[in-house]
Amino acid sequence: MEKTKNQITQFVIWFALLFGVVVFTTAVAQTKYLDKNGVLIFEASEKLFEEVKAVNESVTVIFNEETNEIASLALIKGFRFKNSLMQEHFNENYIESGKYPKAIFKGKLVDFNPDAKKVTVKGTLEVRGKKKEIETTLNMQKVDGMISMTGEFVVSPSDFDIEIPKIVRNKIAREVNVKLDFKLERNDT
Amino acid sequence: MKKLVIILLTIPSFIMAQDDLLNEIDTYDTGNDFETAAFKGLKIVNFESTKMVSKKELYFVVSHRFGSIETGIKDFFGLDQAVTRLNFIYGVSDGINIGVSRSSFQKTYEASLKLRLLRQKKEGIPISLVLFNSVLINTSLDKDELPKLEFDNRLGYAVQALISSKLSDNLSLQLVPTLFHDNLVAFEPQENTQYALGFGGRQKLTKRWSINVDYGLHFNRASNSPFTNPLSIGFDLETGGHVFQLHFTNAQPMNVNTFLGQATGDWSEGDIFFGFNVSRIF
Repeated sequence: MEKTKNQITQFVIWFALLFGVVVFTTAVAQTKYLDKNGVLIFEASEKLFEEVKAVNESVTVIFNEETNEIASLALIKGFRFKNSLMQEHFNENYIESGKYPKAIFKGKLVDFNPDAKKVTVKGTLEVRGKKKEIETTLNMQKVDGMISMTGEFVVSPSDFDIEIPKIVRNKIAREVNVKLDFKLERNDT
Repeated sequence: MKKLVIILLTIPSFIMAQDDLLNEIDTYDTGNDFETAAFKGLKIVNFESTKMVSKKELYFVVSHRFGSIETGIKDFFGLDQAVTRLNFIYGVSDGINIGVSRSSFQKTYEASLKLRLLRQKKEGIPISLVLFNSVLINTSLDKDELPKLEFDNRLGYAVQALISSKLSDNLSLQLVPTLFHDNLVAFEPQENTQYALGFGGRQKLTKRWSINVDYGLHFNRASNSPFTNPLSIGFDLETGGHVFQLHFTNAQPMNVNTFLGQATGDWSEGDIFFGFNVSRIF
């Protein structure tokens, strides 16, 4: 009899714990911010040569206010160049988007404060299956159910094992400037 | 014990959280995208490829076929006898292209319309299908030599179905059933309406170089015609913004009716022409 009661108590505790965890994660899920049309622009132009620049206007970004975690995903094919031949070449021979269709960022807004104008983001950017640590300060503004973030960071093709052949080496900058412009909306679902 | 349980239970939820966050937005299926270009140039060598000019882009293509290399150093391997064609192609949309060109071969003007009907997908449709139509005006015919010449006699028409398939990342093949009609043929016994089947292919050698071949099989050439089937072999160099095509061919003219109908060279005798196509995109 004593044993059974003990078992029931244990069961109740386990159940409560499990339930608590579920409730806790659901609670977390309710304070997320989402942008499905985020803008990423990268530029690797050299002066006097043809512009090497692409814009992706359908970047997805999600931010969890409870944990300060942020994740972002851009389809490589979503990057639009002025010159469609350059775009094709970028997909086929530089990023190999057939094999690696996505660029992924996972990180944290380390000092997130809803009233601050700046925030430091830290995390890893994964392109072509290669990871690169990124840390940069973003301009931030939080108004009602919206958080807007703008900023930039620099990567280099070699971070992702992208080889620039000799014949175009002086037409493509060694440092690629990446700009971002996200407007995240509160997403209570 | 209970503390341990709490820790054990919450750890996975923290670890999972970030991937969950990503999974929430990672809903794209990239498995069924359109195949990227089977060919890089608008032409394989002489035959039109299924490559289209993108919407609102303007291509300016300069093509040269030097004289026969057979003449050797006397004409500097054909430099002195070049045929030139200037061609503008505009993308009305990604699937509709219009073009105008002028070739120095028989002072030919051409207007063309290229329509994409099917586009190859990674899974699903295994081919791209593009229609190519052109109208040619031969302005070299002289009324003094041909007193009965009417404007109609200068005209030629061509219709082609371009059927390409990118078989792997490196190999693309194309078939080109062709029907063309010259109101006035260069060789009297030749029927005005002519049929041909084009074969073309591209094999990538490196990321930037490819070898291209095309051949036109003419089905109703007059029996003692001086004209031959065109066979061309060339290399594409693609640098990211430009495609340079360098090739050898036994056809000096470059319009559908002329390279299929009036090619004169012969590979077996070394009577071939060196040429190139270069494009500038606006």
